[in-house]
Amino acid sequence: MNTYNVKIDAFEGPLDLLLHLIQQAEVDIYDIPVAEITEQYVHYIHAMQELELDIASEYLVMAATLLELKSKMLLPDPQVEIEDEEEFYYEEDPRQELIERLEEYKQFKEAAAVLSEREKSRAVLFTKPPTADESFEPSSENETVPDIGEVTVYDMLQAFERARHRVDVKRPITARVQKEEVTIEERMGEVKHVLKERKTPLSFLSWVEHEERTSQVLTFLAILELMKTRAVYCEQSNNFEDILIYTNEEGVSHDFH
Amino acid sequence: MISINSTLESLLFVCGDEGVSVQEAARVLEIESEEAKDRLDSLARQYRDRDAGIQIRKFGDVYQFTTIKEAAPYITAMLHPPERKTLSQAALETLAIVAYRQPITRIAIEEVRGVKSDRPIQTLVGKGLIQEMGRSEGVGRPILYGTTTQFLDAFELSSLEELPPLPEHAKTESSNEADLFFKEVGVDEITET
Repeated sequence: MNTYNVKIDAFEGPLDLLLHLIQQAEVDIYDIPVAEITEQYVHYIHAMQELELDIASEYLVMAATLLELKSKMLLPDPQVEIEDEEEFYYEEDPRQELIERLEEYKQFKEAAAVLSEREKSRAVLFTKPPTADESFEPSSENETVPDIGEVTVYDMLQAFERARHRVDVKRPITARVQKEEVTIEERMGEVKHVLKERKTPLSFLSWVEHEERTSQVLTFLAILELMKTRAVYCEQSNNFEDILIYTNEEGVSHDFH
Repeated sequence: MISINSTLESLLFVCGDEGVSVQEAARVLEIESEEAKDRLDSLARQYRDRDAGIQIRKFGDVYQFTTIKEAAPYITAMLHPPERKTLSQAALETLAIVAYRQPITRIAIEEVRGVKSDRPIQTLVGKGLIQEMGRSEGVGRPILYGTTTQFLDAFELSSLEELPPLPEHAKTESSNEADLFFKEVGVDEITET
């Protein structure tokens, strides 16, 4: 299996995979060496299974089609001998249907590539949103409700898509938000500093109110740590009440013992 | 008094990416659609002729101001616009099939692609590139899909006729024979009746 460089994700389906194999074998789409291509196709399917990828059922249907085709090509048609030459001439190539499907798919695959190019060339043209969007807020009095018959779900989807696009456009050009890294030691220092600055006890809730959850937890841990080293002591009148933090510098006696 | 062309220019400016359609222009300026179209076309020509940094693009019957492609690298350097998301291969293939075969059902799309295509169809509908065009007369009356005006805008087409012809492949012999065969049958039937 290692000899196969499998790029399953790169294929859009069994027809795409077949086209790839045919191209790789450098053979003509109208003269597919069925046995060879079938073998390679089946190898790919096995490789997909080996990689425990979910194989879409369409791939398996195609494998069955190929195997059937292969057997048809190998076996002589028993009717041929009885029928006269002219009818034999019209005998259809068993590959015909597959060739037509491949041909059709290939056309659209190429058309998709053309569209992709056009999409890219459109992407370098810039436009601006309509001026009217914000400057004219319709006042609620003369706001007209459009007749529902005139509005389809597609209008709504398009409006939504436009709105989303505007949000994209208005988004700040670059914004990188980095998590603030603060250690417990640093926070302990901050708590001590704040307590030193103010004479009154510090309310825990009012201090952490506007902080993020991680920062709140950090502050709480810092206070616990400070309590352990007896730099501060706390008071809480009841469960879930605010915690008041007092500095212990003034030599307040420790009530913890 | 300002000229109609100047007014059109202002309208194009305020309408931005939504553009001005021939009908809207005709209604606002109280002129015939025919005249509105001619004037918009001539305005677009003027912009081209004087090497302006803004161009008037046309898709369907909508005219729109955009920057010129030559300015793109400088605009990017100035604004660092977020990279625009492009369509996936699956969506592009599906879109190509809808564009050339419309109106078309989901089943018919899947027959060409050889895989399920409901996801790409949903994506395309969501992006407003394709829409429901009615229902097929077939069993279950399946939805028929076709492309939208927005599709024309997104792929730089002024109309569906501008779609490049599908890449041709040499017709296989047998299909030609089949054509001949059917033609002969047709002739026979006519002579008999």
